[in-house]
This record gives sequence, structure tokens and C-alpha cells, in this order.
Amino acid sequence: MKPVSDRALWIFAAAALALPLIADGNKFLAFVLGMTYISLLWATGMNLMYGYVGLMPLMFAGVAGIAGYAVVHLTRELGWSFWVAMPVATLMAAIAGVALGLPSLRLKGFYFTLCSLVIQTVLTLAFIFFPTYTNGDTGINQIAPPDWFGGRLSGLGLELMIALFTVAGILICAWIARSPLGQRFVAIREDDILAEAIGIRVVRCKIIAFFIVSLYAGVGGCFYSVYIGFVSPRAFDVLVSMNIWLFVAFGGRGTIAGPIIGTAILAPIPFLLQDLQAFKDILSGVLIIVVTLLMPGGIYGAWLARRRRVQQAGVDSACVQESRV
Amino acid sequence: MTDAQILILMSTLSTGLILGAIFALVAAGVTIVYGCVWLPNASNGQFFLLASLAAWTFTASFGWTSAAAAVGVLVLGTALAYLLEWTLIRRLYDTPNRNVAYFVVTLGLTQIMTGMFSLTYAKWSDQFTLPPIVEGITMFGPFPMPNNRLFVMGVSLLVLVLLFVLLRYHPYGRALRAVFQNREAAALRGVNVRAIYRLSFVLGSVIIFLGGILFALAYSYDLTVAWTMSITAFAIMIIGGPGSVVGALVIGMTFGFTQAIVSIFASPTAATFSYLGAMLLILLFRPSGLFKR
Amino acid sequence: MSSERLLNVSGLSKRFGGVVALKNVDGVSVAGETLGMIGPNGSGKTTFVNMVSGHIRPDAGTLQFAGIDIAGKTPHELAEIGLCRTYQAVRVFSALPVQQNIDNARLLLAHRGLNSAELKELTEWLRLDTRLEAAAGSLTLFEQRRLELLMRLVLKPKLIMLDEPVGGLAVTEVIEMIQLLKELRARCSIFVIEHTMRVIRELADRVMVLIAGEKVADGPPADILRNKRVIDEYLGARHA
Repeated sequence: MKPVSDRALWIFAAAALALPLIADGNKFLAFVLGMTYISLLWATGMNLMYGYVGLMPLMFAGVAGIAGYAVVHLTRELGWSFWVAMPVATLMAAIAGVALGLPSLRLKGFYFTLCSLVIQTVLTLAFIFFPTYTNGDTGINQIAPPDWFGGRLSGLGLELMIALFTVAGILICAWIARSPLGQRFVAIREDDILAEAIGIRVVRCKIIAFFIVSLYAGVGGCFYSVYIGFVSPRAFDVLVSMNIWLFVAFGGRGTIAGPIIGTAILAPIPFLLQDLQAFKDILSGVLIIVVTLLMPGGIYGAWLARRRRVQQAGVDSACVQESRV
Repeated sequence: MTDAQILILMSTLSTGLILGAIFALVAAGVTIVYGCVWLPNASNGQFFLLASLAAWTFTASFGWTSAAAAVGVLVLGTALAYLLEWTLIRRLYDTPNRNVAYFVVTLGLTQIMTGMFSLTYAKWSDQFTLPPIVEGITMFGPFPMPNNRLFVMGVSLLVLVLLFVLLRYHPYGRALRAVFQNREAAALRGVNVRAIYRLSFVLGSVIIFLGGILFALAYSYDLTVAWTMSITAFAIMIIGGPGSVVGALVIGMTFGFTQAIVSIFASPTAATFSYLGAMLLILLFRPSGLFKR
Repeated sequence: MSSERLLNVSGLSKRFGGVVALKNVDGVSVAGETLGMIGPNGSGKTTFVNMVSGHIRPDAGTLQFAGIDIAGKTPHELAEIGLCRTYQAVRVFSALPVQQNIDNARLLLAHRGLNSAELKELTEWLRLDTRLEAAAGSLTLFEQRRLELLMRLVLKPKLIMLDEPVGGLAVTEVIEMIQLLKELRARCSIFVIEHTMRVIRELADRVMVLIAGEKVADGPPADILRNKRVIDEYLGARHA
């Protein structure tokens, strides 16, 4: 698979930053856009772990929650600025992500997924049953938007900021994918025993991956808190992890374009279905099954495969032409 | 011993036996399907709940007796299992590393079923109870034991014994164990591996349905049992050893008694926490589980 | 190449449950010398290789490579000090193009590794220069085994352990492979574990024979082939 071109990245960046300006008139549309960007940031992190390293970290949402709750606590109880609280909360989440991931380093495939599912469940239960920090199932509402030069950053300003972080996140991901680290990730995904045998430090790479992916989860979690203004254990439970995974798998894992496509299509849907939580679950479940059984490469993967087949057919027919001469 | 102490002891003992047997049944179903087809069924709790709810529908809406409902659900459940195998499950038989794909597919199935339940049953009732299958109460000293619970206890233990005998002595059971251990060798010995896969999926699923029916006959319940049961069943399977029915039986009974004892002092959530913790420990230090397949 | 002592094994032992896989095995290999290992199935050859390549820990005995203690080191640590192996069932990154397979192997040494001229020469010698764009899984078995060799040579190793390098190859391919391995010896010391006596006879300077976990003979191929115990317990009279 050829790496994504620089030109495509800059076009995407420009479009992503322009969209909030265009959507500014319609409050609902702007909100859906903002949530889509946060989901895209999360999907990019998930893609790094699932698409490039080949592991499915179902505790992603829980790690995001650690940062989400932490940033609320730091700004409210300790009165910190959001712009100081966010890096600290994200770092906390990243350290927690590595610590929680360490034990599962030796596990592979289904065992890894199961272990991460268990850790996610423990995190959700912790969010519910330690109400001193999290206010339990009730959640915390009226979270103030980030402070900004004496005032508050909200509305279009906040959306642009989120768009900026999302674009940066994708650019960083593309950079990692092209780097030796990204090459190591792919080698580990394809055959981790062979990777180890040719000198790749598999354990160290996995730990680095956990750290970076948790950073994405954490930043997204922080912005989630201040953008929606309300957090609860439900916001960071296993269904959220599965959804983010679905954005990546549906769009096409292991590519830069895949998560963008998947998130752009799937993330707005719950907002259009509004209160029909049950239907969201059912639709999600159906998509999960369809993607796993029928579309392992996602939409983008299927498109790439089709393009390769067409190109190959062109080459084949050219050969036939030549041999006829 | 005072009467009060005897009551507590006998209550704990009977709850432990019933829960343990049901846990063991469901875990055995899950482990058979995983060990044989390599299918970790994340939606086992939903299957369990489906059977319970279907039995409730038969008694509450159609007015059947509990006995008829139980039989009805078993028949329908068997058909459903065959249908699932035919449409979804067999697609992945030839895929390597299918255990992850299956796990994800069943996670999707879980979401679908959760959604469907909240659209239907959640709106109809908070709690679900079946009429007793056997009326009356038997006294064990000072301890009153409802007969229907006695019945469930008896049937569960009987099924467990039958299952054990089937796997150990019946040709199907031996074929199943052969495929568990080494499917290429089993195929070479003339075992029709795909047929065994199908049979195992159906058997495992039907056992889970049976567990749901028996649970519904003994206790009233709400929709959260699905999630709790899934975690418990997986914890039992992982700790007992994936693919080991003996492990499922032993650890299942252990969990049943643990739950019964813990419920005296703390909420059931504490028990769930401990299952999760135990499962994590095993995953980290001894992923093959405590018993061999 | 100097006569540096590469592999130095003494008293190596391992049991799995009740089964003794290796019992007190000694062995030494020297740079420039081609060491061979033969033995029937279940004799412990695989256990030996897995132990030396970092997949299993020994129960007892010492395991040294180039003077460094390697018991318990991971495969990547071994690759870093110049010891690598190939696998009985060939292992390449099947879904990735051949070029990417090679690039993955180059990650270890990065700029300290082979320069493009050296790499080109190796690729042409192993006749993979026309297949760089193809997915590694689409190569023939012989091509995949050559790719394995290329990926190891890129690591600039001191010793390559070859686990049944001609396994699954057709007769003509076996002859070609033996020739390749003879040329390989000039670039890097090798340790060949094989079933096929022909390979051992043509390549090895010295042979270790493992039977039921114990080393029963250690010497030049000619001596081994005349060793009574080896003939009785492994080769059968027709090889004598």
C-alpha cells in the first residue's frame, strides 16, 4: 500500500479547518461536526493500535475517560487553566494506558481483546463505584468551556480548536506510519515472532504504541468533557470503544483515509437517530458483524483492492495485445 | 448450632448448588464451543437471557405451564442454534485466527440483542418471574426449600452428569475431544470435522439456553443478568481452562458458592469484581487455565 | 575470518514435564567453520535450536555466543549480537512486498547496515532482484527460503542457524540450495540442522549427532558416517 501523499494530507487539513466555518450558521450541524472531529481523533488513535500494530484495545474509551474526568477535576477543584489541565490529564491517561496495557503485552489475538475488555469493564465499574471523583452514574454536568484570554472558548472558536487538534493528530499519525517506528508496527502486526527474530524490539514497540494511542484517547477525552459539558460512565464505556473500533474497521484499518471515511459516515448517525439508543445499538451490532464477515478491509480497503484488480486487468490485457503482434 | 445459623448455612448451600450448577452449565456450553469451533461467544449472556425471556413470554403471554414453556424454548432454541450456524458461524470455519473474528462478531450480536431487548422486554416489565414448575415447599429441618428450586437443582446436576458422561464415554464425546485436541489428527482418523463443529455449536448453545430456562424457573430476574452471566461464564472458562469441560464444572461450582457466600456480606457487584480480578490474574500468569482440555 | 569461538554450549539440559528433551549437550563452533547437526525426529534438535535462538530457557548448562552469556536473551537481543536463525516452516511477511520484507530486516542496523551497492549485490546473488514488488507470500517456496537468507544477511550476523533449509524443496532445488549455502559460507558462518545427509555431507566441516536428547558423536562427516552407534541408531546400514 503506498503511503498517503502529502498533497492529499494538506487538502484534507484545509477542508477540515474550513468546515466549521461553513457549518457555523447551523448550531445542530456544527455540534455534529464537532463531535465527529473528536470521534476522528479517537479513531486515529484506535487505528494506530488496531490498523498498524494489529491489536484491538477495547479499553480505549476507559482511558479516554480517565483524562475526561481528570480534566474536570483539575479545572474545577484545583482551578487550573484548561490548557494546563489538558496536558496533565492526557499524560495521566497515557501512563494509566501503559500501566493497564503492560500485563496484556504477552497476550495475542482473542486473549488480548478479552483482557482489554475486562480492563475496560473494571474502569467503567470504577467510574461508577468511586463517586468521590466521578459522581458515579449521575455524572458531572455543567462543565465549563476552556478558558481563553480572560473569557471562554466556545462555539466556533472551540470547534476550530478541536479541528486543529484533530488535523494535527492525523498528520502525526501519517508521519508515524511512514517512519521506521511505523514500519516496526506493521512488521509486528504481520508476524510478531519473525519481527522479533530480525531484531525488532517487539515489547518496547508495543509499549510505545500503548503510550501514543493513550495520548490520542486522552486528548479526545479532555475535549469531549468541555465540548459536551457533561460526562458520565456511559460516555466512556465499552460500547464507545466498540464504536470507535467500528469507525476504523468500517472505513479501512491500517490506512490514513480509512478512519476518516468511516468516521465521516458513521459518527453523525447517532445524532440523526437522536433518542433511539436501542436502534443505535442494533445498527452498530449489525455493522460490526457485516464488517467482520464481509468487509475485512473496510470501505477504503475494498476500493483499493478493486483499483488494483482494474490496474492488473489493464496490465494483463496490454500483455495480451503485445503477444498478439 | 442455632436455628438461625442452620438456616443461613442451608440457604447458602442451596443457593451455591443451584447457582453453581447453572454457572457450570453455561460455562460448559461456552467452553465446548470455544474449544471445538474456536468460537468465544461473547453473547452467551444474551442467549441465556433470551431463553429466560422466551420462557416468560410463553407463560405470561400465552398462558402455558412452565413445563410446556421450558420444552418450547428448548425446541426453538435448538432450531435457532442450527439457523445461526448455517447463516453466520460456518462462514469462518476455514479462516485462521478466527477466534478474534468470532469474538468481535459475537460482540456485535450482543449489541443487537441488547438493543432488541430494550425495545421490547424492557418496556413490558422490570422483573420477570415464571410460575413454579412444581408447587409446594419441602422442609429440611427448619429450612424451607421451595420445590421448584429443588427441581431445578436436581435437573441441573443431572444434566451436568449426563454431559460429563456423554463427553467421556459416548463416541460423539470422544470425537469432540479429538477435535478439541488436534483437528488435523482427528480429520485423519475419519472424524467429520465440520459436522462436529456444527454439533458442538448447537450442543453448546442449547446448554446455554437450558441454563437460562433453569435460572428463570428458580429465580426472578431482570435484564442485567445477561451482562453478569457473560462475564461470569467467560471468567469461569478462562480460569478453568478454555476447552476444558471439567474445568468449567469445577470452577463453575466454585463461583456459585462464592457468589452465595459473598451475597451474605456484600452486593453481587463485589462478586463480579472478584471474578474480573481472578480472570485477569489467570490471563496474565497462566493463560491456559487451571485444567487441561 | 579469525578463529573466534562463536557458539559455546556445555551441559545444556531441558525437560518438558516428564520428558527429557536435552541431556547434557556440549558443543562448540568456531568462526569460519560450518557446523552441522543431525538426528532423528524427537532427538532434541528443535529444542536445541529454539534454546539457542532465545525461544526457550535451558533448565541447566551454559549457553554462550561470542563470549557473551545468552541464556534467557530474547531473539532480538541475539540478533543485535549477531546470532540469528531461519525456520523449518519458512517464515516471511507474506502479505507485504519482498522489498518491504527486506526493509524490515534493515531496521535493526539502520545506517550501520549494508549500503545500497552491497544490498543490490546480495539481492542479485539470491536472484530476488526481479521479485521485489511481489507479495512475499506469492513467491515459490525456494524463493521464500532465499528471501529468508537475504533478510538474515542484512542483519550482518556472525552466525546463521539454518533449521532444515532444504525442507520441502524439489531435488533440483536442493542441489541449487546446497550450492548457494556453499557460497554463503564465505559471507557468514552457518550452522545447519538437517535431516538430509547429503546436505550435511557437502556442507559441514563438523557434525553433531543428537539421539534421544544426548550428543552421541561430534566430528567430521566422514567420521560420523562410520560411527557405529550413529549407523545403528539413526542412519541405517545403507549409509555406511
